[in-house]
Formats: sequence, C-alpha cells, structure tokens
Amino acid sequence: MTVSVVGQPMPQVSAQEKVQGRAVYAGDIKMAGMLHAKLLRSPHAHARILSIDTSAAEALPGVKVVVTGDDVPRRRWGVHHKQQNVLACGLVRFVGEEVAAVVATTEAVAQDALELIRIEYEELPAVLDIDAALSEGAVPVHPEGNVVDEINIARGDVEAGFAAADIVHEEVYTTHSQYPGYMEPMATVAATDGNGRLTVWTSTQSVFLARQRLAEALDRPISSIRVIQATVGGGFGAKIVEERSSVIAAFLATKVDRPVRLNLSRLDDIQSGCFSVPMRIRLKMGMTRDGTITAKDVTIEAECGAYAGLSPEVMLVTAMRSDNMQRLENVRSHARMIHTHTMPRGAFRGFGGTQMSFALNSHMSTMADMLGMDPFDLHRRNAIRTGDLSVHGWEIGSCGLPECLDQVSTALDWTARRARNTRCGVLRRGVGMAAVMHVSGNRTMGNWDGSTVVLKVNEDGRVVILTAESDMGQGANTMLTQICAQELGIPVSHVTVQAPDTDNSPYCLGSLASRVTINAGNAMLGAARQARSQILEAAAQKLGCEAADLTIADGVVHSGKNPNLFAPLPEICRYHIFRHGGEGILVRHTHDPKTVMMNKEHYGNIAPAYSFAAQALEVEVDTETGQVRVVETYLSDDCGKAINPLTVHGQSAGAAVQAVGWTLYEELQMEGGRVMNGNLADYTMPTAEAVPTMHSDIVETDEPNGPLGAKGASETAILPGAPAIANAVYDAIGVRITDLPITPEKILAALAAKEQPHA
Amino acid sequence: MHSFEFMEPTTLAEALRLLATHEDDACVFAGGTALLLAMRQRMMVPEIVVSLGRLHDLRTIGWTPAGGLRIGALARHGDVARSELVQQHYPMLAGVAAGLANPQVRNQATIGGNLCYADPATDPPSCLIAMGAEVTIAGPDGERRIPMRTFSVDFFTTALEPGEILTGILLPPPDPQRLGHYRRHLRTAAEHRPVANVALTARRVGSAWDEVRLVVGAATPSPQSMTRAEAYLAGRAITLDVAAEAASLVAEELAPISDGRGDAAFRRQVVRAATRRIVAEAAGLDWKETAA
Repeated sequence: MTVSVVGQPMPQVSAQEKVQGRAVYAGDIKMAGMLHAKLLRSPHAHARILSIDTSAAEALPGVKVVVTGDDVPRRRWGVHHKQQNVLACGLVRFVGEEVAAVVATTEAVAQDALELIRIEYEELPAVLDIDAALSEGAVPVHPEGNVVDEINIARGDVEAGFAAADIVHEEVYTTHSQYPGYMEPMATVAATDGNGRLTVWTSTQSVFLARQRLAEALDRPISSIRVIQATVGGGFGAKIVEERSSVIAAFLATKVDRPVRLNLSRLDDIQSGCFSVPMRIRLKMGMTRDGTITAKDVTIEAECGAYAGLSPEVMLVTAMRSDNMQRLENVRSHARMIHTHTMPRGAFRGFGGTQMSFALNSHMSTMADMLGMDPFDLHRRNAIRTGDLSVHGWEIGSCGLPECLDQVSTALDWTARRARNTRCGVLRRGVGMAAVMHVSGNRTMGNWDGSTVVLKVNEDGRVVILTAESDMGQGANTMLTQICAQELGIPVSHVTVQAPDTDNSPYCLGSLASRVTINAGNAMLGAARQARSQILEAAAQKLGCEAADLTIADGVVHSGKNPNLFAPLPEICRYHIFRHGGEGILVRHTHDPKTVMMNKEHYGNIAPAYSFAAQALEVEVDTETGQVRVVETYLSDDCGKAINPLTVHGQSAGAAVQAVGWTLYEELQMEGGRVMNGNLADYTMPTAEAVPTMHSDIVETDEPNGPLGAKGASETAILPGAPAIANAVYDAIGVRITDLPITPEKILAALAAKEQPHA
Repeated sequence: MHSFEFMEPTTLAEALRLLATHEDDACVFAGGTALLLAMRQRMMVPEIVVSLGRLHDLRTIGWTPAGGLRIGALARHGDVARSELVQQHYPMLAGVAAGLANPQVRNQATIGGNLCYADPATDPPSCLIAMGAEVTIAGPDGERRIPMRTFSVDFFTTALEPGEILTGILLPPPDPQRLGHYRRHLRTAAEHRPVANVALTARRVGSAWDEVRLVVGAATPSPQSMTRAEAYLAGRAITLDVAAEAASLVAEELAPISDGRGDAAFRRQVVRAATRRIVAEAAGLDWKETAA
C-alpha cells in the first residue's frame, strides 16, 4: 500500500453519471411495448367497497386492463403482521389506499381512465388518532383490535431508583410524522418474459427483501422473480419494505404480460409514501444531586396508521435504544403500537430514535436546569464509555460520545454564547444541545446480519464487485470501492460495483440499520485480502520468488527485496487464468458479525458496533412573529474511522437539515384522515435558503469490530437536531415546546401564556 | 396533463383575436409557472393555450423622466430585479422582485402573469398599489388604463374582462421626497410564499409624512389599503410608540384569510409586527429594542 485511499475525502463514484443526468433511475427505463399504470385511491378513511364498475374505463381506447381488489391474490403480505393485499379487498382503511389500477398505452390515458371508474362505498366510522383508537368501543381497524403490538421492558428496580433520586421530572412529549422527501419518488418497471418469469427494476434499499415481499404479495415462488436495483434517488427507510407501488407494478405486469411502468408523481408519492411514526412519549426520570440518573420510566403510544409494516420494530428502538447511551441500572418501558384509519407509517432514517431523542434530550436539558448544571456536564456524567456493557446487554466496543460533546461545545463556544443571552429585545438568541446513539447493524432477521461480497478480478487487473447491499445515494459503493482499491493497490477508477440484482448478486439484507459499512465493509475487506493473496501467489510463481516478499502498488506487483522483480497486474491476472485451467481470480467473502438476537426480555448485544453523535446550535426567536431561525449548528459524529470523510460530512449536513425540517418547517396537515398539504409547495421541506450555517466534525474512534475501525454514519446524525432546537428555544425565550413541530403559533401562544400566568 | 393546442401569436392583435375566437376554451400562457401546475393537476383543462412568448414588445422595461416607468407585462421578476432603471429609480420594486418566491420562479414567471393569476400569496400587488401603479389592458375594443388598486378584486379575481390581455404596468415618475419600504413575512424560512406583506410609501414633509399609503397583501384575499393607519400616520412625527399605534390600527382594520399557512389570528399578529417594523424602519428607528 503506497497510497492511502481509505480516509481520503473523495466524490462518490456515482457523482459523474448523476451530474451528467446519465444515471438510470427506474423511471428512465423504456422497453419495447411498455405500458403505463396509474392508481385510483380511496377518498375515505374507512369504508366498505360495495361495487366497482370498471366498464367505462375499460372501454376507453388505449386502456389494456383495469384491476381491482377482486383480481389480486388473496394471500396477504406484510412484515410480521400480514395485513395487506396488492389492492384493497372489500374494505379501505385510509384515505389514499389503492383500490384500482389502470394499465394503458400512455400515462394520460391511464389517468383519464381512473376518472371513469365508478366505485360505490359505504362509509364507516373511522378512528383518526390514538385517543380515538384507544377509546371505549372504538371501531377496530383490523379484527385483532387497535393495539397491534405491545412492548414491556424492565431492568433493575425502578421504584427504588426513584426513591433514591433527589429530583424527579415527568413530562409528555409528542412527535409528528415526517415525509422521507427523497428526490426520487417511487418508480418501478416490471416485465414478464416468455417463460413466465417476472423481472422488476425498482427504487429499493434491498433487492432481496423486495423479492421476498413480491413473492408473498403475488403468491408465487421467490425464484420466479428477479429484482434489479435501478439507481435510487434516496430512500431514508421508506424504500426498505413498506412502499406499495412496486408491488402493484409487478402485479400489473403479470396481468398484461407486457412491461409496465408505474412512476409516482410527487403528489402520489406523498399519499402512498411511508411517513415516520408519530408518538406520544411520557418520560419520567430521577437523578441525584450530582446528576446521576437513578431511574427512567417511559410510556410510549405510537401510531402506525392502517398497516403495521416495520412500525413495531421502530417502536422497539424508541422504547430502549437510548437507554444504552447512558450508564443506567433502573429502566422501564411500556410501549404500544396503535392502528388508526390513516396512512401507514414506518421506517424513517433514525428508525424510532428521533422520537425518543426529542424526549430524552429535552428532559436532560430541563433537569440540568433543575440541578443548576450545564447540560453538557450532565450528559458527560451519565455517558456510557468504551468497554461498558449497557443495561440491555450491549457491548460498547468504541464510544466517542465524550469527545463529540467536547467538540461541539468548543466549536460553538457554548459557554460564552450561553452567557450572552439576556432574554430581552424582539429577536432573542439561545443555544441548545443534544447527544445521541445509534446502532451499526442489527441482528433481527433469522439470526443473521451477515453480508457477502463477490470480487472478480478481470484479466486486466481491474475489478468488479457484486453485492446486494444498496447504494441509495448514501455512498455504499464508494465505501466498497475505497476499501477494495486500497487493499488491492489499484486506483479507485479500476473498481466497478455492480447494481444489486437477485439473479447475480450474493444474498444480502440491504441498506438498513446503518449496517452496510460495518458488515459489507468487513466482507469487502476479507474478499479483497483473499484476492490479493491469490494475486501474490500467482505473481510469486511467475516471478519465481516468495509471495511474502511481494506487494501491490499502483497496479503493479513488485518485490520488496529485489527491485528487478515486478509485474503489472494485467500480466499476473492473465497468467492466473492461463495457469489455473481458465480460472480467473474470483473470490467470495462473507462476514457475519458476532452479535446475538435479542432474547425475549430484549436483552443481548444486537450490533457489532454503536455510533454516537452530539449537536450544539444557536437559534434566534422572533418574539413578535413566533418564527424560529437556526443561526448556526455544529454536529459531531463518532462513526469510527471515516472511510470517506466527504461522505460523512455530507451525511451529517443532510441529516441536520432533515432534522431542522422535521422540527420547524414540515407539518403533515390532515383533516378527516385526508392529507391537506400533500405537495411540496404546502408541505415545506428545507430549501437552500432555509438552511443555517452548518458545520460538522468527525470523532474517529477505532472500532474493533469495524472494517479498518469504521462504524455506520448518517442515521446517528439525524437524532439530535430536534431537541437541540427545542432546548435552544427554551434558552432564548424561556418557553419549553414539548410537541413537535415547533410552529410560530405555538411560540406565540406559549409567550402569551407566560406573560399572563393567571389568564 | 390533457393534450392541448399551443398557439404562438406574433402580434397583440392576433393574440386578442385568438382569445375572442376560442373564448372559454382558451387561456393565456405568460411564464407558465402557475398555469402548468394547475394543468398538471387538471385543475385547469384548456383546449387552447395562447402563448404570449413571441410578443417581444411586452417584455421591455422603459423609463422617461416625465412619464415614469413602463414595465411590459411579460417582464420576468428577474428582469425587473436586474433592471438598472428599476434599481435606480424604484429600488423598492427592485427589492421586492429580487426576493420574490425563489430563483426558479423569478427566472420564469412574469409580473403580468403574477398580477392576472391573483393568487393572494404573493408580493407584487400590494407593492405596486402602494407605489401608485396603473395597469394597461388591451381588449377587442382597444386599450384601457386603470389603477392597480382596482385591478386586484378578490381571491384569484381581477378586473380583467374575458378576452382581455394585461399589457403593462405604469409607475409615476419617482418623487425624491417619497419614501418606500416593503416587508415580506414568510411563515418559516422554508416557505416561498408570503403569509403576509406590508408596503409603505409616503411623502416626507419636514420630519413628518403625508400622502401615506400603507397596503397589506398576502394576508387578505386581495391587497387591503389600511386607511385608518394611513390617516393616523399623516402629519405625525414618527416614534416607536406611533409605529406601535399604527400597527394596532392595522391589526384592527385587517380582514385576514385563514388557510393552511396560518389562521386569521396568526396573520393579524404577523401583520401587526410587520407594520410596526416597517413604520419604524421608514423613520430610521430600531424596532428590535422593544416589542409592540
């Protein structure tokens, strides 16, 4: 290794094709004879479908087929709770649920045909929020009732912990639903071939989970389906297994036996996309005078909407993950996942972590004030450390949380800025902070969290990597390329990562739980080292020396002992093929981390590593208009060795912006279960002009289980934003907002209430 | 989007003829930023789209010392913002155009299209009314000229008759004694459309003002002149207390709309704050020190 590639900031390997507009997204794919699909959605939150008349739609010239719930397989699909059909069968459970689909020669004809479908509904009473769903005699969304999942976790002696506390604080926090807001709305092309096999090109975070789901929903063998990942324009969790349009597109292709494209418009995507899970969290904590947490008691009510999807897994994260960030002994969580007649919610960057981070960090800040402590000191006092075993059995191999806290407090000049606040004037500034943790990997499926990489060295010494871990824009392919190039001693431009394809790629779970860098990165490292030793063996044979004396740099194998002994890689790679009966260098390496599934008590070391982050920021609150502006933010991510610092900074900045959006700008407005602002003019995500001065830094702990010391990045960074803003607002104006989003109206109302305490 | 016929007349007369022939089946395309959204969502389904893109005369911005400014209806917001004539003689208007919506809209949408669409959540109407603008309208029977304040009628409604085309905006010659200020309020920094705006112009007479025009936009179905505050401010030395009192008068007189961007009470509060600030600012006072 002459040149270090790992650790160098470099643009993503996909950057060039993307900026040139040449990356092929599913919506770009055109095939001979391809047809177009459009979806008809339910206008009712809860209704029985009495009849559907598709005759007028079918009669429209250009329409190939109109399908309804009567045409789809009876088998239901879902993550754990099998609750959905390809299209609604007999009953609709939320406004926007797909009740019919049209396939036609053009999108415009398909759209026209939708307007000709006549559906007779019998409207039924609907439960539209948690309280209604839990009320006495509430209409059940599913026959099993409205509580679809319940978690109870208890460790230590919580009551004794509270008894030992000097101060106890209890508060209820509510968090709202956020649209994942990826740049690319869902798009799928599906086609059957003459043998009846189905191929699906789609925007997905996991081709193998996509295929498994399609097999279930379409009720056909897994191997009769091939899923190929098109370029993905962002996923943020929503494209793991919960979106519905790829399932519908695949089904339609089987009905017409011609290629079918289903591109969702932004309006469609918002109606069928996967928003995050809103929650109500009651948090009670006790501390001794020195700030040591003695007990923590959490009650969670979470709303998954009409179908559970991944929401129960999301809620489990909310219920226990943040406990592992601190040295706790006495903790208790009770969490319930509740159905309503609203859009299904589910996985979202942070996977349940943002909700609890808001509650916990708001609480920590409040209790720091009660103790007269600086919140940084309170976090430091309780922070878990490298080598600790957490209350839920997590083995903390590396923890840079104290360093993250130091970095952001120094960078923001915390103490000085905090002292500057005088709480007077029209525009008031305040500072806030938060600290968080996240997993890198998570053993939840089939006692397996492994990843396999196939590495093929071509006859010219350049390589192709096969994996089914998805690059959805987050940089997985760049990470693999950097590790591979460094280990093999070749330029990064000599590495190609193939798009995931269930027919050709090794089985992988895909991009979720921040698992790809640590697991696929380790598999890549193993594969590259295996290939390297094969190259060196072949070179040793050819050059007549010991393999141990040889090394590879800049694509040339050379001896460290004799400068006259060298050979360029193409020579060795061809030699290997010719001298091994035509066998080129083709290696496969699997890495399955030494983790365990949680036991029934939710105990056990589920992840090979844990990432940490902290954020400190300053806001300005306009006391006359209620507007909150984030002025400047510092975010520090402990992601272990940063394989590509440029990507890590990009992820930190992007996550911080998404958190600002969730906290201040984005608000899903619903009336009667209907989305009232389902477009990007009215559902306002942050724009370039709406973003503060942003800074990020990296704490490079050396993770013993990570490839070259690396852990996951990006999900951790979304977790601290909301409470840091809420804490800064409190610092600025003395008003504590406990329900997100922090709107101008809430600020004005809270200020008014504060000025007239007796009103 | 439904298919439609796209017509590109090269003269105003031809454009007017097309509108007269096709009546309700036709609609006018200027910058298209609002129209295309409406068509894609099938809120508008015109059979004939009459583009004014080739009427190059309607793009020009001209100025004479005696006649004032004439902005062609097809001038884009970016054109207005970058025009040296506008920047030099009407900085208030240049500032409004430079901050309108977002760069994409400024570089495509036209000022005429903006006025004709009459979406309340925008900036130019209140600003132009406060500046004493007039508009010119071409129709089958020739051209007419009306004050901007009578052009904006209501929510998405203007004084334009069927078959007419807005051709230009006229501003009186600049008066060195007339001050002009404008404030736009976005609900959050991520918004591109104002929840409220306030435009203020007045003639300086010694240390006081007269001929005060105070117009609120975006918070109301169409721009609302704040006559009580205008009368109150005329002839008075402006202090922070006077600014606050004017803000209260405006808040009382205002008839705000309620929608997803903010209810009436919120808009009233925002307009009150904006009014206090704009009056203080125009008088060179610092509004940041005390709240209303």
